[in-house]
Amino acid sequence: MISQLFILSSKGDRLVYRNFRGDGGDDVTDAFYRAVTSLPGDQAPVFMAREGQHFVHVRHGGLYVGATTTADTSPFVLVEFLNRLVTLLREHCGTLSEKSVSVNVALVQELLGEMVDFGYVQTTATEVLRSATHGEPETTKAFSLLDLRSVGLFGAETQQSRVAPGSVTNRPVLPPRGEQGGRREVFVDVVERLTVVIAANGTPLKVDVQGEIRLKSFVPGACELRMGLTEELSVGTEEQCGYGRLPLAAVAFHSSVDLEEFEQERVLRVTPGPGEVTLMRYQLAEDVAVPLPFRLLPSVEWEPAGRLRIHLKLRCDLPPKNHAINVVLQLPLPREASSLAQELSSPEQTAELQGGGRSLRWAIPRCQGGAQLGAVFRVQLPPTPPLGLGPAALTFELPALTVSGLRLRWLRLSAPPGAPPGPPQRWVRHLTHSDSYVVRL
Amino acid sequence: MTDSKYFTTTKKGEIFELKAELNSDKKEKKKEAVKKVIASMTVGKDVSALFPDVVNCMQTDNLELKKLVYLYLMNYAKSQPDMAIMAVNTFVKDCEDPNPLIRALAVRTMGCIRVDKITEYLCEPLRKCLKDEDPYVRKTAAVCVAKLHDINAQLVEDQGFLDTLKDLISDSNPMVVANAVAALSEIAESHPSSNLLDLNPQSINKLLTALNECTEWGQIFILDCLANYMPKDDREAQSICERVTPRLSHANSAVVLSAVKVLMKFMEMLSKDLDYYGTLLKKLAPPLVTLLSAEPELQYVALRNINLIVQKRPEILKHEMKVFFVKYNDPIYVKLEKLDIMIRLASQANIAQVLAELKEYATEVDVDFVRKAVRAIGRCAIKVEQSAERCVSTLLDLIQTKVNYVVQEAIVVIKDIFRKYPNKYESVIATLCENLDSLDEPEARAAMIWIVGEYAERIDNADELLESFLEGFHDESTQVQLQLLTAIVKLFLKKPTETQELVQQVLSLATQDSDNPDLRDRGYIYWRLLSTDPVAAKEVVLAEKPLISEETDLIEPTLLDELICYIGTLASVYHKPPSAFVEGSRGVVHKSLPPRTGSSESAESPDAAPSAGQAAEQPAVIPAQGDLLGDLLNLDLGPPVSGPPLAASSVQMGAVDLLGGGLDSLLRSDVGGSPAMGGSGFTAPGPAAPAAMGAPLGSGLGDLFDLTGGVGTLSGSYVAPKTVWLPAMKAKGLEISGTFSRQVGSICMDLVLTNKALQVMSDFAIQFNRNSFGLAPAAPLQVHAPLAPNQSVEISLPLNTVGSVMKMDPLNNLQVAVKNNIDVFYFSTLYPLHILFVEDGKMERQMFLATWKDIPNENEAQFQIKDCSLNADAVSSKLQGSNIFTIAKRNVEGQDMLYQSLKLTNGIWVLAELRIQPSNPSFTDLELSLKCRAPEVSQYVYQAYDAILKN
Repeated sequence: MISQLFILSSKGDRLVYRNFRGDGGDDVTDAFYRAVTSLPGDQAPVFMAREGQHFVHVRHGGLYVGATTTADTSPFVLVEFLNRLVTLLREHCGTLSEKSVSVNVALVQELLGEMVDFGYVQTTATEVLRSATHGEPETTKAFSLLDLRSVGLFGAETQQSRVAPGSVTNRPVLPPRGEQGGRREVFVDVVERLTVVIAANGTPLKVDVQGEIRLKSFVPGACELRMGLTEELSVGTEEQCGYGRLPLAAVAFHSSVDLEEFEQERVLRVTPGPGEVTLMRYQLAEDVAVPLPFRLLPSVEWEPAGRLRIHLKLRCDLPPKNHAINVVLQLPLPREASSLAQELSSPEQTAELQGGGRSLRWAIPRCQGGAQLGAVFRVQLPPTPPLGLGPAALTFELPALTVSGLRLRWLRLSAPPGAPPGPPQRWVRHLTHSDSYVVRL
Repeated sequence: MTDSKYFTTTKKGEIFELKAELNSDKKEKKKEAVKKVIASMTVGKDVSALFPDVVNCMQTDNLELKKLVYLYLMNYAKSQPDMAIMAVNTFVKDCEDPNPLIRALAVRTMGCIRVDKITEYLCEPLRKCLKDEDPYVRKTAAVCVAKLHDINAQLVEDQGFLDTLKDLISDSNPMVVANAVAALSEIAESHPSSNLLDLNPQSINKLLTALNECTEWGQIFILDCLANYMPKDDREAQSICERVTPRLSHANSAVVLSAVKVLMKFMEMLSKDLDYYGTLLKKLAPPLVTLLSAEPELQYVALRNINLIVQKRPEILKHEMKVFFVKYNDPIYVKLEKLDIMIRLASQANIAQVLAELKEYATEVDVDFVRKAVRAIGRCAIKVEQSAERCVSTLLDLIQTKVNYVVQEAIVVIKDIFRKYPNKYESVIATLCENLDSLDEPEARAAMIWIVGEYAERIDNADELLESFLEGFHDESTQVQLQLLTAIVKLFLKKPTETQELVQQVLSLATQDSDNPDLRDRGYIYWRLLSTDPVAAKEVVLAEKPLISEETDLIEPTLLDELICYIGTLASVYHKPPSAFVEGSRGVVHKSLPPRTGSSESAESPDAAPSAGQAAEQPAVIPAQGDLLGDLLNLDLGPPVSGPPLAASSVQMGAVDLLGGGLDSLLRSDVGGSPAMGGSGFTAPGPAAPAAMGAPLGSGLGDLFDLTGGVGTLSGSYVAPKTVWLPAMKAKGLEISGTFSRQVGSICMDLVLTNKALQVMSDFAIQFNRNSFGLAPAAPLQVHAPLAPNQSVEISLPLNTVGSVMKMDPLNNLQVAVKNNIDVFYFSTLYPLHILFVEDGKMERQMFLATWKDIPNENEAQFQIKDCSLNADAVSSKLQGSNIFTIAKRNVEGQDMLYQSLKLTNGIWVLAELRIQPSNPSFTDLELSLKCRAPEVSQYVYQAYDAILKN
């Protein structure tokens, strides 16, 4: 059960506070902020027991979204709920920031009133909330078509979206009441996260692909959506995994997904209301050979007087028509390096020392499939016996590509009766980003 | 509209302004004003002054405005109860509103206003709403019953709301069912005895049906309720499991975990032989694994729960090791949890993989994580015996990196590995010693010191190493100080000859110069142990230690079983049962797993062996040998005397001096019962004039010495005349005669070496064979000049009793080897036992009585001492000179009875009853009864008595 719920700014100012069960004092937010800021580094911040209270919180957009709770509550309920709350606030306020929350306090309070009663979570479904709430969101920034240039994904925590959030989806899902016109759009994203560990000899030790299909709808009212997935898909490891099959180890669907046609046709059917929903989460079976996008060929030489010469060759094994963006290679160094000399193959690349010289960062903004990039670094280290380097960690994004090969073949929308003419705009995007891509040296 | 509009400070003027706006005629303006009020209230400003004005806005058909006003009311009604009454009419009216949203809103709000007068008015509307046609209103009303119960439980019962609530479990709308279940579960918690929920197969069936149609959050209420149900038999358990299993693939992790909880619990009732049991086990793994790809906060919660599940049922995830491998971008708290689970899952099958991972982690940048990774390698070594060697070599590789914190962490875990596999990996000690200088953390220093102390006999320069630590003793942390103390005592017991000074130094540092009671007490314990009985000290300090248990960090099985019941509650995150962190009224019901039915196994989970041998940080403790401990406690010590030992250690003394009078008397000198202090530092054999000796010391010691010395026992115990031990003919011209003496606590072997050969003798050395009381030379035999022909030299060789022990026959036999430049000669001699009688051998009266009774009669030995014409007092004082103490004297029928006690250096007490018949001059025999727990010494004690009394 949720006793109190609050949203605090990064400085601890109370933005939203709601006491659902009438117990506990008003000073919980101060107690929470004290607790969270004085927490020792090795303790997990998610749950804290302080002064007889149990705090749970998640951090998003610099805000603390937190709650106090009783001991017999499921921690999963709390964390799930807080994450849903964050999603809903994004949907209703556009972005989640100190500003957008404080402007929409009345709306947020109204939402909370419907979502939680006496500490029991009632609903987090956008369409239900839509019918039960009456407040109008105040946008903090006028939505502009010009922002469409930098289309970012709404859900995936990619490097790109973290730095400069694509603002196309950063607007309230709900058009202002009475304006039927709004932009009617449906976004479907297939996002895969790649976790790879490559041994020093180049053999992959671990390749793990997790993916999800997300849907964000800006279409008011219900409309039926059907999407066809790659037909080679097979679920469960027991099945025959013949050549060309795409076996998934685990699949979870959102409860709103109709799977009637999935077994035979690999078709998902869903009737989404406005809002964001993760339709499907999947994990690629472990024994599938996934083509790895990057190979790293390092050679390291110790020169006298603690100088280390690192020659890195990075080969991008993507098909030539694809490319990777925001490629960053992090290489931990054995000691604090005092200086760095570099030879890079193109001017847009950069390299620098980070963390007080404890790691080397090589950034490549864009890398075409099939390309091979070379770089030579010389770092000055304190004289110590030779040590191992690494492991090197790569981060990157692969637009318009899913490493597993799972794709959306088609997406069909049938408009509800009485909808304005013309089909809503449909956007299908594929993307792979590195969750953890580690090359051992 | 600007955003700062709601956030100007509430100055007085502003309240007035808001008041005016609230009373405005224009609806829009009113609404904006209420919004401003709510905004101020939300950030914690006091706008209660506006109460009447806000309540006036209640009468509106604008739902948004109404909600805001209600929100305001919920917040301030408690502080202004009288004003809140004004709102009651509106509430009651709203409960009749045609719009279900308004009806629900009114009921919801009224339940949140915790004012008695309002609660009274709530009952009728609530009754209606519970039977409302609209499910939205019914579900709200169901929760409202719980709210009302929280305010006034009696009222809820009297009004019969509980029955209505029970009826709602059969409602057609699943959300109503879910809320009714939630409300009933909460109410039932405060009435543990009442059978409110009344779960039976029929109602369970209804719940399971509702489960499929409910919202995700409703499913959680129902699943949590199911978890409290106790199925009748394994068949019912299985059928529930079958219907709950589909929830495992739900996208909401909370639903998944609530389902896991139900399954884990009901699985307990299923027989393990059942096919279904295996199927179910297989089905549990994927959802748990899937949780690990969620947001880090959820991952963390999932990992904490998995940690419990893995301990209870390792089989579920034994093949999933890889998913717990750490990703470099995981938050640190997730990394640490994963590491912990990796160790728990480590087995011989996957250890190579795990070690390779851990080694990689140890080179990462995050210091905290690296440390934990190094520790994990140590835990692997302890857990999987076959991997120990590989772990040690991995740790050595890491030490070679010379990265400071890695080295320190590695040394700490290597210490544990030594404790698990003693005498197996000492070859690495040399490498460890190389890194001595880089250790700056207390734990690592303490570990290193422990290793040096433990393996002192194999480290050539152990004394130097420890001495180097001793220099900054007072700047060290307590942990290091304690360890250093123990290590040096161990070193001393292993290499007594070279480390006298060191042990004295550390004992005095620990006892005199430290404020830390732990350190001081441990210092005193060692001190007394060494002084009273070095043999026992050896047994205690160098005792074989219990091996550290495989998984010291395993949660205790009973606690684990309890925690398993709390999977999916906060208890599973804290890893503490709710009783450990719940305060206040909410009753804590201890939960337990259901017993297994239909299973042949009696006890579950053999894997959860009790975590035995919780090895403490400090292994050298007194073993539980009752008698020894008893003796220690019986020492009857006065408050510690702080003067003499310090003074003694500051006096410049040569090695011989130290040994002669030194250690034993030094160590003994704080024993309050003995007046023999101050004598420390003197080697002079035979009685010494105290005043003469006191002066040259030139320190405060003189005064002390005058106070305490000079009387009593300084005269020393009886010394037998010298006898020839080694005749010249047997030893190529070397004649040795000698005797034994005991002076203020130190034993001496007084020797006369006579050269009866024609050549000069030199290079004397002496060695004892192992003997019953561990007698050993405390210093080398020092013959300063070569011994010319026909010359004699008198030598007093100090002895101690910390040598090796072997029972001899006769008990007091001593085999001696003497070497000179000519040859090595052997002889054996018998030493009188009274040289082993220690100065604190006086027992308390009560203790004596108790001990006398306690020792069985068969241990009693009777002797006659013939032809002794001394009276009782003379006997008493004569014996006292040799540390046989008279505790009591009684006159029975003309006979004097003396009750006496004495103690041997190895802690053996001997109790004596001596019968003297002074009235009869012709009858001069004394009768001696000896009682001792080690009866074999009685014979020799009698001989000592006899010798002392007859001289």
